[in-house]
Amino acid sequence: MNTMKPSMQTSELMSALADGQLGGEDFAAALQACQHDESAVASWATYHLIGEVLRSPAPVVHGADLAFLGRLNQRLLQELPEPLLGGHRQPGIADSAAQAGAKAGANVAHHRGAASNDGNLRWKWVAGFASLAAVSAIAWNASGLLLPAAAPQLAQGSAQQVLVASPQGPIVRDARLEELLAAHKQLGGASALQVPSGFLRNATFETPQNAGR
Amino acid sequence: MNFKTYRLVALVAWPLAAMNYAAAQVPSPAATPTPATAAESRSVNDWLMRMHEASKKRSYIGTFVVSSGGAMSSAKVWHVCEGNQQVERVETLTGAPRSIFRHNDQVVTFMPDHKVVRSEKRESLGMFPELLQSTDSRIADFYRMRHEGVERVAGIEADVVVLVPKDSMRFGYRIWTEQKKGLVVKLQTLDADGKVLEQAAFSELQLDAPVKMDQLIQMMGKVDGYRVEKPVMVKTTASAEGWVLKAPVAGFKPMSCYKRPAAASAAPGAEPLQWIFSDGLASVSIFVEPYDRQRHEKETSLSLGATQTLTRQLDTYWVTIMGEVPMATLRHFANGLERKK
Repeated sequence: MNTMKPSMQTSELMSALADGQLGGEDFAAALQACQHDESAVASWATYHLIGEVLRSPAPVVHGADLAFLGRLNQRLLQELPEPLLGGHRQPGIADSAAQAGAKAGANVAHHRGAASNDGNLRWKWVAGFASLAAVSAIAWNASGLLLPAAAPQLAQGSAQQVLVASPQGPIVRDARLEELLAAHKQLGGASALQVPSGFLRNATFETPQNAGR
Repeated sequence: MNFKTYRLVALVAWPLAAMNYAAAQVPSPAATPTPATAAESRSVNDWLMRMHEASKKRSYIGTFVVSSGGAMSSAKVWHVCEGNQQVERVETLTGAPRSIFRHNDQVVTFMPDHKVVRSEKRESLGMFPELLQSTDSRIADFYRMRHEGVERVAGIEADVVVLVPKDSMRFGYRIWTEQKKGLVVKLQTLDADGKVLEQAAFSELQLDAPVKMDQLIQMMGKVDGYRVEKPVMVKTTASAEGWVLKAPVAGFKPMSCYKRPAAASAAPGAEPLQWIFSDGLASVSIFVEPYDRQRHEKETSLSLGATQTLTRQLDTYWVTIMGEVPMATLRHFANGLERKK
């Protein structure tokens, strides 16, 4: 898990990562590369930008300023002990956001230098959350694909959190819960409706990775 | 890649939206004059048996759309049957490409992105007629049936029946079945207020289409270039694993219990036990695994479409309960679960 596949160059790996095509060991290797190699993060950002330009009909506003991101992550770590959003509501998320940001870098920034809203805690929280969302969107592509065996293990071994939309608003689910959900759908179909439509329903809806879009 | 997805979603969203619109225009399905035919006099079990039989008699090609928890997915479906043999092919049109083949209770899932194919036997697929026979009166004990009239779905005239739960422990279902043979063409899961939690329907359906069984079986076996995974599940009993449900939940009976042997996933010993319950229509899974302070942060309850999830810490164990039932029902399960002394 710690060794990068020699057959895959870092830039190739970053390209695949930006496209959300990695899974398993490749995914872990890519994240590790991001952690140790700043140029890897830079090339990820570039590939991401290329992808955005190709996909988006509108002009792309992009400022994946890595220095900014680094500062943001540091500040986020410092801010942790303070109450967020008027209470200790989601320290876990902010923490993961900081970690996630450190791991892969993300396209958060439209601001440079000390922002005028520096004092505004809520803004930072949102930015951190966005970086989590970006990273988990990738994690989702790789891990939402069913099997426990296929699910990547992140280097840190922390819970892999995934942001999904639900009628109650955005919620964070981890990959483990996804595995259990898949198991429930596979084995738990003890229903008289299983053969006429339950199976089709689950086959069609097995990976809710587009939830909320 | 996302653009394709959007286009697809838009494509499938349209017929479904149109369907909803059309449904909204008809003040009530009951307004359609229904001749007092066999449709009225059928019992719950008759209906369910008829739906089940229809899937053994009809060959078809269609597009199936599922809408749940704010997300929508669709798939192209081929279905063929000859004698006791049923073969089905499902090609997903949303999200990562997947091809799922089913030959009776044998299911093979191709994931071309990862060059992985998963092959497994799904016992629950073979359960049905026995499920109904052994529990004959049970479904009727907990659900009442109402015929709501006739509607057209995917170009096909369908009877609309509603299974109304007799207590608050389960959801209701509205089912559209093709009039001639009873094939299910649309299904809604309803909460206590009759709100639609999830729905699945054919947006287009070609009945008695020429589907070749041999061809599908051949495709199902073509695993060259794929890594074949066979999830190994060990059958066990809750009692043998030291668990008991001290207060049974009305209508829900234990169906089976499995353990995943230590594999690539997670730490050793962390493989969850899965204990499955069913009331004949809805199913609930109880997962039990050792409590891990790093991974199990806080107890939550979560609802996505018709599927509710609840997590709890129980001594040194972490319990996750999931099912297509109201959250309160899951709480009953959680409260009733106990480690055997």
